[in-house]
Order: sequence, then C-alpha cells, then structure tokens
Amino acid sequence: MIKKETELLNEMKSKYNFEGKIKRKRRISISIDRNNLSKFLHELKNRGFIHLSSISVTDWLDEGNYEITYHLWSYDDKILLTVKTKISRDKPNIQSVTSIWEENAQIHERELHELYGVKFKNNTDLSPLFLEDWRGPPPFRKDFNWREYVKENYYDKNNKRETVYYD
Amino acid sequence: MIDQIETLHRDTDYDLYFGSAHPGSGNFGVKLKIDGEVVTNARADPGYLHRGFEKLMEYRTPIQNAVISDRLCVLEPLNWNLIHAEAVDELMGIDIPGRAKYIRVIMAELSRIQSHIIWFGVFSKGTGFDTGFKIAFGYRDYILDLFEMITGGRVYPAGYICPGGVRRDFPNSAKDKILKVLEKIDEMINLEKLENPALKARAKGVGILGLKEAIRLGATGPVLRASGMKTDVRKDDIYEIYDRFDFNIPVRKEGDCYARYLIGIDEMIESIKIIKQALNEMPKGEVIDSSLKKPKLSVKIPSGEVYIRNEVARGEAGIYMVSNGNDKPYRVKVRGPDFLHMIPVLEYLLQGTQIADVPAVYWSLNICPADMDR
Repeated sequence: MIKKETELLNEMKSKYNFEGKIKRKRRISISIDRNNLSKFLHELKNRGFIHLSSISVTDWLDEGNYEITYHLWSYDDKILLTVKTKISRDKPNIQSVTSIWEENAQIHERELHELYGVKFKNNTDLSPLFLEDWRGPPPFRKDFNWREYVKENYYDKNNKRETVYYD
Repeated sequence: MIDQIETLHRDTDYDLYFGSAHPGSGNFGVKLKIDGEVVTNARADPGYLHRGFEKLMEYRTPIQNAVISDRLCVLEPLNWNLIHAEAVDELMGIDIPGRAKYIRVIMAELSRIQSHIIWFGVFSKGTGFDTGFKIAFGYRDYILDLFEMITGGRVYPAGYICPGGVRRDFPNSAKDKILKVLEKIDEMINLEKLENPALKARAKGVGILGLKEAIRLGATGPVLRASGMKTDVRKDDIYEIYDRFDFNIPVRKEGDCYARYLIGIDEMIESIKIIKQALNEMPKGEVIDSSLKKPKLSVKIPSGEVYIRNEVARGEAGIYMVSNGNDKPYRVKVRGPDFLHMIPVLEYLLQGTQIADVPAVYWSLNICPADMDR
C-alpha cells in the first residue's frame, strides 16, 4: 500500500539526516535541520516535487520557536511531502526558496513575512500584501493580543457608546 | 492606494487602477501601467477582503469553525465546509457514516456546478456578452433552491457539512428534485455550448498560459488543466469517496481564455455524472457520527497535524491544521487556489496584453478574492 512512500523515505534517509514518518498513504512528514534545508529542498524539486502547495508558519510560543512548514506535491509520485524546520522566533531568519519555486514561493514568503515577521533572505519582494498602513507587530504571532490592540487603537474610552468594550 | 500612483513623463504612458469594486468578482484591484493600448506592467493589490481567518480559527472550537468556514469563499461555501470538516475528522480519527459520505460528495459537486455557473456568468459579463450573464444567474437559482431545501441557507449553509458528517439528512423529496435541477442544468449547458461569435472573438488566443509557466506560477485546477496538464486532486489524491465514481478529467492544450471557459463547461458535465451515480448508490442510515450527534460545548481535538487537499471549483484548496490537544486548533493555515491565480498568474498574464483584453483574462481565471485574502 505504501511502497512508493517507503522507497522515497529510504532513498532520502541514505543522503540526509532527518526524522521522517509516513503518516498515511500519500502523506510523508519530515523534520530537518535548517542548515540542510536548502540543499534538501533543491534535491526534492529535481526529484519531481515541482508543485509547492503551501508554506506555513506555526508559532510555538512556549518553545520559543517558529516552525516553517513546506508542503510539496509531486505530480508523478502522487505524494504530499511536509518538510518542517525550526527557527528562533526572536530572530526569524531563513533562506528563501525563491530560487527553487520562483514566483510561487515568492508570494507565499511575502505573506508570511507580513503576518509573522519572518525574514526570507534573498527574497527580493517582501513588501506588504494584505495589510495597509499596518504599524503594529506581525499580527499572527501568538503573543499579539488583537483584542487589546483594537481597544487601544480604534476605540475611545471616553465615548459613551463604546464603553461597553471596556467592561 | 490611489495616492501611490506616480506621475509619468511620456504622454503615451499612464497608470490605470483596475478595481477595486467589480460587479462580478468582489474586492480586488490591479495596478496597471499602460503604454498606449498595451499593459506593460501589472501589480495585484489584494487585501480588501482580508478577514484573518487563520487567526480567527485559533480562537474557536471546530463546531464554530465549521460555520465560519462558509465564508472562506463566497462562491463555493460548501466545498470549504468540506475541507474543514475533513481536517477535523482526520485529526479526531472519525470514520463518518456511509450515507454522510455520499451526501458530502453530492453537495460538493452541486456547489462546484453552481460556482462554475457564476464563472460563466461573470466571464460573459466581463466580455460584453450580457445574455450569458442573465442565463447563468437565472439557472443558478435552481441550485440555490436546492441548497435552501437541504441546508436551510441559499448561499451560506452555516456549516452544513460539519465534523463527523453532515448536520441533517436529505428531505424525502430531495432525490427527485436534484434530478430535475440537473435536467435544467443540462439545458443551460446546451445553451452555453452554442458558439457565441462575440465571446469567441474576445477570448480565443487571449491570455495564453503555457504549461511550463503554469506549473512555475503555481496554477492548479481548471487553469492548469486548460494549459494541458491532466491532474485533478479528486483522482490523484483521493479524498472522501471519489474513487467509487466514474468521471473524466477534461484537459485542453491551448491555455487561452477560451480553453479555460470550455474546461468549465466540461467540468459541469462531469459533476452531473458524479451526482447521478452518487444518488443511485446512496445507502440509508445515519448522517453524523454518534460522538458528535448531540451538540457539545467543547470537543477536544487530539494533538497532531494534518494537511488536507481538495479540488474545489477554482483549483487545489488546502487546510493545514495543527492541534496540541485543546478544544481549539493551535494553528490553521488556509491555502486558497486564488492566492496563486490572482497574484502571480494574473500579473504574468496581464503583461503585454491589450487593455481591452484585461477583463477577459481577469474573469477567465475563475476568480474569487475571498479565498485569496482569507
């Protein structure tokens, strides 16, 4: 049932050092160190993972880490690979993958830069995407309290009609 | 944004702000740089519909999230209901009842047809074929009537497809009514198929997207299939029970606006096929898992992570859900197909087109700003 998945995982394990797990048919999850990431992703692209389905960031507040997650799909093997790597959430820097997936990666990274403040090195366009004139901290961080932020910036305590928000 | 448009010096150059309130597509703008009649540069300006779904979902339980997942895409709420429900089901390890599986497929396909009808409607309107728009929105109402009968809402089903199955069973008359509506949709498809010289002239050979570029720019779904790639998440990455049905993947090689328009029509025919098979094979029984049948204040999601991919009308949609064992998901990432179609693909296609072709290109991509901005 999961022959192809096992083959792929074993082939990669012979070259790189990572933790990998077959979750179910067509789903593999891999955690790799950030130093090997670029080379590893390059190889995956050449191996048929030409479609970058999505990039995501998980903010592990207690650990103090950001987990960057790449979801890759291979049209030939029909496998979805989830590649995860951890970076510090205080200084979130990581190498961009625009050299691998070009415009597709570029737009995903631009979004994450805006919402999580992750700096992708060598990404040429990290200008704001969704938020206009945003001056606050990256809004999707777990420690950003948007309820407080809205109260401070958009409501007036002295306005009778808005006192309800301060109860 | 208007104040950011710079003044230019040559008298044939000018900037045009295309948007940000379109009658057919919602809230989205494109900043165009134009030289005479030709677009020299296009830059998408999203964000008018950014509601922060990913953050909203972190504060809510799956039962609440099922309801707000409607709003992820205005034009096909049931499909997004389905993706969210699948993600929670997989994390909780629920195998939903057999009848619910069929109901989910039928509703998802009806929603796909309804969304493709809108696509045809706005594409016709955008290219100046007003009759097409009226035909489309007239026939779409038949499907909305079905939705009202089954889910209670014409456009938004309010989380009809929820974790564990679906909220309630079909009414007794549903099968006959669905079959009657499908006859009507057949009628509409035959009208659409009539060659319309005006629409053809506006769409043929315009906005050509080659296969290589399509893959590089991250196009999926009908846009990728119109460029010659035979792929469909329903076949390649089987979810629900799509392996039980017999249907084809329509593919075209041309990659222009007209090819995309024809793909839309062919997909409706395939969806009708799926619905008819599903109606015939549908078993009797429960429609929601017994553990979720009674409303609960909190349902704990076991810790873990899951990435769900579905084929929605616009392409590949996904939800990446991470849970740490609480009753609310720790992180939800929503991958909308239009995030790629409306920014990199649109910017690429608009470059070098005539200004008169901008609407044809724009509406041929089956655009929905809601699932791009999220």
